[in-house]
Amino acid sequence: MGRENHKLKAVNLIRSKICDPKSVLKLESDSPDCNYSKLKFMITSSITEACNNSILLLGPRGSGKIVVLEIVLGDLLEEYPDMISVIRLSGLLHCDDNCAFKEIARQLCMEHQLVFSKMASFDDNSQFMIAMLKECGLAHKTIIFVLDEFDLFTQGKQRLLYSLLDAMQSVTSQAVVIGVSCRLDADQLLEKRVRSRFSHRKLLFLPPSFENSQRLLEHILSLPTDLSLPNEYVDEFNRKLKTMVADKRFKDIINKYLNYDSTVNHLLRFMFCAVSHMDLENGFLSLKNFETAFSSIQRHPKLDCIKNCSVLELYILVCLKRLEVKEQTPCNFNSVMKEYQNMSGQTSDKYGRNVCLRAFEHLLQRELICFTDSRGHSYSVEYRQVKLLISAAELQQGLKAHHSCPVTLHKRMDHEG
Amino acid sequence: MDKEETPQITRRTTRSLASATALNPDNVAETTRVINPDPPTINDLVFGGEPISLDDLISKFPGRSSQILEIVHLLGPLNSPMLPLFVYGGASTGKTSIVLQILRHLNRPFVYSSCVTCYNPRILFESILNQLLLHRKNAENGYSNAKRCERPSDFVNFLREALTNVINNFKRNLEKLNSSELAGQGTGNMIYLVFDNVQLVRAWDKSSTIVPFLFNLYDLLKLPEVGLIFISNTSPDTFYSNMGYVEPIPVYFPDYKEDDLRQIFMRNQPNRKLYSSFLDVVLRPFCRITRQMDELSTAFKPLFEKYCEPLNDLEVVPNEDMKRRLFSHFQPHISSSLNEIFKIPSLTYSEVNDNKDTKRKGNPKNLGLIELDFHMSTCAKYLLVSAFLASRNPATLDASLFDSRGGSDNRKCKRKASEKAREKKETAEQELLMKGPGTFPLERLLAIFQCITSVAEDYIDEEEERNCGLGLQEEDGGLMSDVLLQLSSLCNASFIIKGASCPLEGSTRYRSTVSEDLALKVARSIKFPLSKYLYR
Repeated sequence: MGRENHKLKAVNLIRSKICDPKSVLKLESDSPDCNYSKLKFMITSSITEACNNSILLLGPRGSGKIVVLEIVLGDLLEEYPDMISVIRLSGLLHCDDNCAFKEIARQLCMEHQLVFSKMASFDDNSQFMIAMLKECGLAHKTIIFVLDEFDLFTQGKQRLLYSLLDAMQSVTSQAVVIGVSCRLDADQLLEKRVRSRFSHRKLLFLPPSFENSQRLLEHILSLPTDLSLPNEYVDEFNRKLKTMVADKRFKDIINKYLNYDSTVNHLLRFMFCAVSHMDLENGFLSLKNFETAFSSIQRHPKLDCIKNCSVLELYILVCLKRLEVKEQTPCNFNSVMKEYQNMSGQTSDKYGRNVCLRAFEHLLQRELICFTDSRGHSYSVEYRQVKLLISAAELQQGLKAHHSCPVTLHKRMDHEG
Repeated sequence: MDKEETPQITRRTTRSLASATALNPDNVAETTRVINPDPPTINDLVFGGEPISLDDLISKFPGRSSQILEIVHLLGPLNSPMLPLFVYGGASTGKTSIVLQILRHLNRPFVYSSCVTCYNPRILFESILNQLLLHRKNAENGYSNAKRCERPSDFVNFLREALTNVINNFKRNLEKLNSSELAGQGTGNMIYLVFDNVQLVRAWDKSSTIVPFLFNLYDLLKLPEVGLIFISNTSPDTFYSNMGYVEPIPVYFPDYKEDDLRQIFMRNQPNRKLYSSFLDVVLRPFCRITRQMDELSTAFKPLFEKYCEPLNDLEVVPNEDMKRRLFSHFQPHISSSLNEIFKIPSLTYSEVNDNKDTKRKGNPKNLGLIELDFHMSTCAKYLLVSAFLASRNPATLDASLFDSRGGSDNRKCKRKASEKAREKKETAEQELLMKGPGTFPLERLLAIFQCITSVAEDYIDEEEERNCGLGLQEEDGGLMSDVLLQLSSLCNASFIIKGASCPLEGSTRYRSTVSEDLALKVARSIKFPLSKYLYR
């Protein structure tokens, strides 16, 4: 029971490290020219020198922008406990200006123990924000605005960005605006009046190199010695991990996986999968865990879909393909049916119209085909135009992989185009 | 285990069963409690009832053991955080029931919401909050929701508040358990949000903010104690938008193989040997059409009855000879039923039987022998038929079809035209037919209507039909107003669709949406020879 328990504990520990990678990434960020130190320096200087600043953090999705920012903010909140208040907005939630001001007012009220009025109008809220900025400036308190999904705030009239950046032009206020975005051209999306008020500081977050990813992986997967886990187990675990990581086959898998997308989050996701496949009987990670994780994450959804199709559905797919080759491309169910009747004439797979229509609907449900028009709800299914969502090569591959695809279909697929 | 427990049926009933048992955990039979139920407690968030063992779970879902183990692994041991999961696979592959049963097996609290019943963001948000805040709609609170929230921003605030509340409660319970006894079988402090049928969300908003919002919810909440599980019919690649999100971890449910289907069908059969010999006959041909469990089970039910017809005793164990006999009796039914596979018998069994017999004679015109199962006035019927004709036939043919001399003479005239030109024209018309019903102006509809009502009377006179229940007046004025009224009601019932107005003529154009079967049926009920007037 005791042994079982500490294995569970080890898994839980690694899983929580993966789900909350702050602690691990923090260890990584001690070199002077990494984004962590740069960002920290910028924000610290604007806090200590009581000036305004605006920064953009750019990088592909999942490259750890927010995590690094959170680490920096956490550190700063410890260092200057009474001098900072952080307002967090997300473009997904607050891209509408009205909503954004309301949320700012709400968070400001929470922070400063004021009563938030739900009924306050747009003007009230924006004036409240400017007044608060002034007050905080007088009290030498910096307000940090974190705008996640910054590019979404640039939709519409950009009133929020304008009034924020405009308020920062005055000497009395003291604020930092940090935009986080996946679009590298995020600053180009700004209106002229906003762009001119924006200080063009940008930090680029790049996916880690292969060596760095591997170091990160080792960091996350190894168990710490100082916790309540028995020492010999931890040693054994870490030793096995080291030999596995050094293995060439392991490197191959990681390499193959990272070729597809090498951001930090992507790697974490893979590790999560592998760790959850860990065998709790022996309690150690093995190469096999990573192999199963790789095969379950890296799938070909369209190919899987074709493999799931019944023979009749395959017939319809091949019909559609043939119609495409014949350049009768805007085709609907009726034309498919005609082609199908030509094709299935001699075979045993000749079914009635109703059955075919249902199979056709299954294909629509599987999203192997779709309607070309988005509206057209007035038409019934038979008359609406459809198109194939898979290429000829994919279909060919799918037919080959299908376990009970009739031979005639292969022939029909090849001949006449 | 009764029939209720097979995968395809549990699917829709699990949650209601769960709440039914969970709401009254101590005594279901106590009827007074139903009227005035206990205030819901935090324990209602778990599935309730007896937790089942993993072995039971795997044996309950044949052919799904690898998926079950994968999900159990990904959910992890007690109190371990989790990245969002994305469970996907075709229809009726047991996604929902397996996820819910696993949560039951692990005894973890969860909130289930299906995007079918919660058909817009607001209802989805409010239903999740209601469940989390243990709010139950009843007459006392006027069936209102716990919180009113429409925007994602409000939802995130409320959700975070509710979740932290619930999680703190769990933690407190856990501490209590720790102090009193060994915390072995607690529910842990994780809570899972299950979103079913996420593929429907894509159609909700044109600006497509809800999909990325749901997929980014984990990052927005920043609560490690929350596990998100998305269940979808379609693969993750159909969700791509230009917004982007960190992909959740995929779990794939392939369709059932033939062997798996056999195992599922063999469950809960009283006479296994007999059913297995039945499956030997039907399963393979049907699997060529579909491998969806729900469709197959509806198709097999009447077939099995037919298969058993020659038997007096259903308990009998069939030997080779009997199997052969049964097969020879049954064989003629297979090929016909293959084409009936998707029909859901709403009539009684014998009636369906009769219909099948008539259909097998191979006369497609007999297809609609079934009576119309709704009432319509005669005028509306004529109008429907004329709209169908107007949509179906090209306008150029109207003159020849509805000429006062009658259809048959014109047919002969047409034959005289050169064979080639006729053929060419015919293929063109065929293509037009395949493209679907055309549009027509009101004038054409009324003209055809007038023609066919008069023709019908002639026809009826000639044939000396007795029950010509035409209540139509020959006076134009009375007729017109009535017809327009009927037309608008047909439009409202969307038998006829009012299209956009034609840019050249400026008049509204109509289109009939009824299928040929229905039109034939209607025509038969008014004894109108519709097939004579159809251009093929």
